[in-house]
Amino acid sequence: MKEPESLTEKTSEHNDLRIGVYVCHCGKNIGGTVRCEEVAQFATALPGVMLAKDSLYTCSEPGQEQIKSDIREHRLNRVVVASCTPRLHEPTFRAACQSAGLNPYLLEMANIREHCSWVHLHEKDAATEKAKELVAMAVSRVARLMPQFEVTVPVARKSLVIGGGIAGIQAALDMADAGYKVYLVEKAGSIGGRMAQIDKTFPTMDCSICILAPKMSEVGRHPNIELLTLSQVQEISGHIGNFRVKVFKRARYVTDECTACGECIDACPQLVPDEFEAGLSIRRAIHIPFAQAVPSKYHIDMHHCLNNQGIVACDRCFQACQKKCINFADRDQVLEFEVGTIVVATGVDVYDPTPLTELGYGKFPNVITTLEFERLINAGGPSGGELIRPSDRKRPRKVAFLQCIGSRSKRASPYCSNVCCMNTIKDALLIREHWPETEIYVFYIDIRAFGKGFEDLFQRARREGVNFIRGVPGEIIEDINTGDLRLLGENTLLGSHYRYTMDMVVLSVGIQPRKDSASLQRMLNLATDTDGFYMEAHPKLRPVDTTSGGVFLAGAAEGPKDIKDSVTQASAAASRANILMSKGEVTIPAITARIDRDKCTGCGLCARVCPYHAIEGGKELGYYRVVEAACQGCGVCVPECRFGAIDQTHFTDDQIVSQIDRVLANNPHDKILCFACNWCSYAGADFAGVSRMQYPPNVRIIRTMCSGRVSPAWIDRAFAGGIGAVLVSGCHPSDCHYNNANRETARRIERFWKRMERAGINKDRLRLAWVSAAEGAQFAKVISEMHEALARTPADKVHKEADKLREFLSKKSSSQ
Amino acid sequence: MTTLRIWKHFPREDLYECYQCARCTGSCPAMEVAPAIGPRETILKCLNLGHQDVVEDERLWLCCTCNVCEDRCPQKIPISDLLVALRNSAARRGNIPARLVLAVELLAKTGRSMIVHQLDEMRAHHGLAPLPPAPIEEIRELLSKTGFREVIEF
Ligand SMILES: Cc1cc2nc3c(=O)[nH]c(=O)nc-3n(C[C@H](O)[C@H](O)[C@H](O)COP(=O)(O)OP(=O)(O)OC[C@H]3O[C@@H](n4cnc5c(N)ncnc54)[C@H](O)[C@@H]3O)c2cc1C
Ligand code: SF4
Ligand code: SF4
Ligand code: SF4
Ligand code: SF4
Repeated sequence: MKEPESLTEKTSEHNDLRIGVYVCHCGKNIGGTVRCEEVAQFATALPGVMLAKDSLYTCSEPGQEQIKSDIREHRLNRVVVASCTPRLHEPTFRAACQSAGLNPYLLEMANIREHCSWVHLHEKDAATEKAKELVAMAVSRVARLMPQFEVTVPVARKSLVIGGGIAGIQAALDMADAGYKVYLVEKAGSIGGRMAQIDKTFPTMDCSICILAPKMSEVGRHPNIELLTLSQVQEISGHIGNFRVKVFKRARYVTDECTACGECIDACPQLVPDEFEAGLSIRRAIHIPFAQAVPSKYHIDMHHCLNNQGIVACDRCFQACQKKCINFADRDQVLEFEVGTIVVATGVDVYDPTPLTELGYGKFPNVITTLEFERLINAGGPSGGELIRPSDRKRPRKVAFLQCIGSRSKRASPYCSNVCCMNTIKDALLIREHWPETEIYVFYIDIRAFGKGFEDLFQRARREGVNFIRGVPGEIIEDINTGDLRLLGENTLLGSHYRYTMDMVVLSVGIQPRKDSASLQRMLNLATDTDGFYMEAHPKLRPVDTTSGGVFLAGAAEGPKDIKDSVTQASAAASRANILMSKGEVTIPAITARIDRDKCTGCGLCARVCPYHAIEGGKELGYYRVVEAACQGCGVCVPECRFGAIDQTHFTDDQIVSQIDRVLANNPHDKILCFACNWCSYAGADFAGVSRMQYPPNVRIIRTMCSGRVSPAWIDRAFAGGIGAVLVSGCHPSDCHYNNANRETARRIERFWKRMERAGINKDRLRLAWVSAAEGAQFAKVISEMHEALARTPADKVHKEADKLREFLSKKSSSQ
Repeated sequence: MTTLRIWKHFPREDLYECYQCARCTGSCPAMEVAPAIGPRETILKCLNLGHQDVVEDERLWLCCTCNVCEDRCPQKIPISDLLVALRNSAARRGNIPARLVLAVELLAKTGRSMIVHQLDEMRAHHGLAPLPPAPIEEIRELLSKTGFREVIEF
């Protein structure tokens, strides 16, 4: 095979290159299809290659020893391993290089198993030729690799927990107990969250506040926890290990000396609906959220206070307080501090069923929600724990529960809220226990009793005579004279219409993402799932991490879950944060972007596309720079620069262009050049291999971390060089591993298509495909389709269009 | 017998999203007063038994197309479209109530779907002019063009 001139020329200047190439048989996995000796033989002749060997299992102990001893003996300064996917053994071979004294970044792998032998099982010749070219591409790239040193950044041994529900409490305690300083920021006047509002908890029927209160007071007295209530995070900057946080802390107007004696409340003339009691009772302007509140101190709700920030119209509480704790001069503050890790535990809102007018919530007093019911039967609640109905304060004899209100619905939230079935069963049993003569009806679609102890509780409720009726009422009609409620519906199991008259109806409402969740999402660069909950970095293997380094999720903010799961997740999040803090530093892979200050004009285009706000600087400064600790190495900024000022370490333009040129060297018009992102599409192509899906052998895959790294200039180069077709593939739009950086991919390809049209080139020759790691079949299908289209395009047409593009490009550059 | 083409007029996949909550039937005013087949059961039968069964059932005609079921369906299933598609199909197979056939025949003959001479007397009693004659030819043409002739002879 003839070496393309440019290539020999370019590498001959690196005559100090000493590359070792290892071609693995992988038993028969590769060796059964690819003639590995022939590939090794071919590699010996490639520029810069000192030696090339084939071995049965390169990843085995002897295989690795061979590499190590060759590095030492032959002073190899670059290594290529042609074997399986780098997603499997790159760490293995990097470690082998390192232990022999070679910088691990000087290794390159050619994937001749998943991307070659396994997908061309019956085409031995074609597979062998393809393997040769993949090795040649790897040799071109390895020649240009540079030693890299991973930087470590210090991690401040302090954490910020946002939200003081059970999840936030657990996470804060776990980290504080491990010896780290924790700032716990809670919006409300007390910590406790939803769990403080509920009466008993399923499936054990524990008294909720009895098990929660000890944890709350532990937070209050823990020396490592700084509790900031009535507070909200206003701004977060920085990155993993070193976040700068600004917290807005509202004034309490009551000093820390308050002993919660409560003398002030009787004095206060201002009445306000009590939000903790779900609006079922009233409180004063000066109040404490609930008896067990932590901190156990009163505060004044200045929106409703008559004193109006010291412009006195009333100071009765001040007069009533013997300890003189009322301080109208108190002011809101902004606190600033630094932390190394962050746990987000902001919990959930509860669905408001007012829009479902047919159910009459808000119109008929005896239709209430489960949250209101929790307060109603709580001994500390508005009725002192007596079961009464709102309209006439009489004990209801017949109570109905309606399930899936606001959940599993395209009119509200499409998902199952996870807790409402069990919550209803718990409530039904509570009524049974205290007021056994009450008739209880549960109208449901499906009862989801999936957790440990759940089915037991469900069966108990049935045994105890709770009526479960399949079919949710379509309409509730109130009798205006009595306040009783008529439920119209269908019992789907009997197939008959029903009318029940009930004294009270409880709507089992679902849970929803916090209304204000978007502000934290922006501050922390979090992703949200289609339901609006914060998204984990990986649904199975990284369930409490986020895509932002150092930021973790706990509790229902990540998705509907019960108390047990919230606590489990909180401990997991704390433990992930503790790992970072106990080590005190993190290593950042040396694949970050770099800006050449001399070439940077300070235009700021790169900073606009960076999904992590990792590029800082400005026109005033005259340049921009990459904050290494914040850069995640997606590379999406690189193609954005018009002045060639940015490049990505270990994925430089020069390195990738050398791979492209190698593909263009032989019969380019027959080939498909594919750019695949590391996380989804490259993995998808691997999966096609693992599943032995067969597709045509004329595709050459080049890996980048994100499809956003793919530069339009590379595509230009490929088409001008006469490539048959180009495929750019990445993760599906909302699955991008770099916070939707692939939006930029789509935008750039869109623009490229327009340009192809202008240049008079068939734009179908460039394809954009979203392929997930599970879509091996999709990958194989796309390649087969492109291959068919290419087979219908005569070679001279490809060459003509290449000429046209070259002309177009030269015109464009001369006009500039 | 004409073949059934209802899935041409109604996307069958929409039905799979029905989880049989019965909010529709529970809201149905026809179910309150007559032994109609409720929308929930209609959907279930279409899915599990095929729509053949439904199309032959005369209770299909008891729905008053008030659309309340569709308004309240949490899955936003276009129930009234389904019912109209089913009834079109039923009519073509001869499952159509006699009173409806009569109304269409009257419409074709007199331009009105009910007998109105009594109405004229009442109008005269109140000093109102008699009703103007109906544009029978136009109505007949409309009826033919909308395909009524395939179902009812007039
Ligand atoms: C009616 C009802 C009954 C339930 N019954 C049971 C049961 O019996 N058993 C069971 O296991 N589970 C039950 N659950 C579920 C249980 O409530 C949740 O699992 C649990 O509360 C989740 O805890 P969390 O800490 O994640 O969220 P939350 O309890 O919602 O706490 C979040 C906290 O964060 C604060 N916050 C929110 N946003 C911010 C912000 N931006 N800045 C600062 N602070 C913020 C909130 O004020 C709140 O204190 C029930 C839920 C409901 C709605
Ligand atoms: S000053 Fe405000 S909080 Fe105090 S008693 Fe008057 S209204 Fe209530
Ligand atoms: S938990 Fe039960 S009531 Fe709640 S949404 Fe899921 S199925 Fe419906
Ligand atoms: S765009 Fe990607 S590569 Fe560039 S600075 Fe931001 S995170 Fe780093
Ligand atoms: S309301 Fe909608 S989802 Fe429920 S049974 Fe009727 S059609 Fe199905």
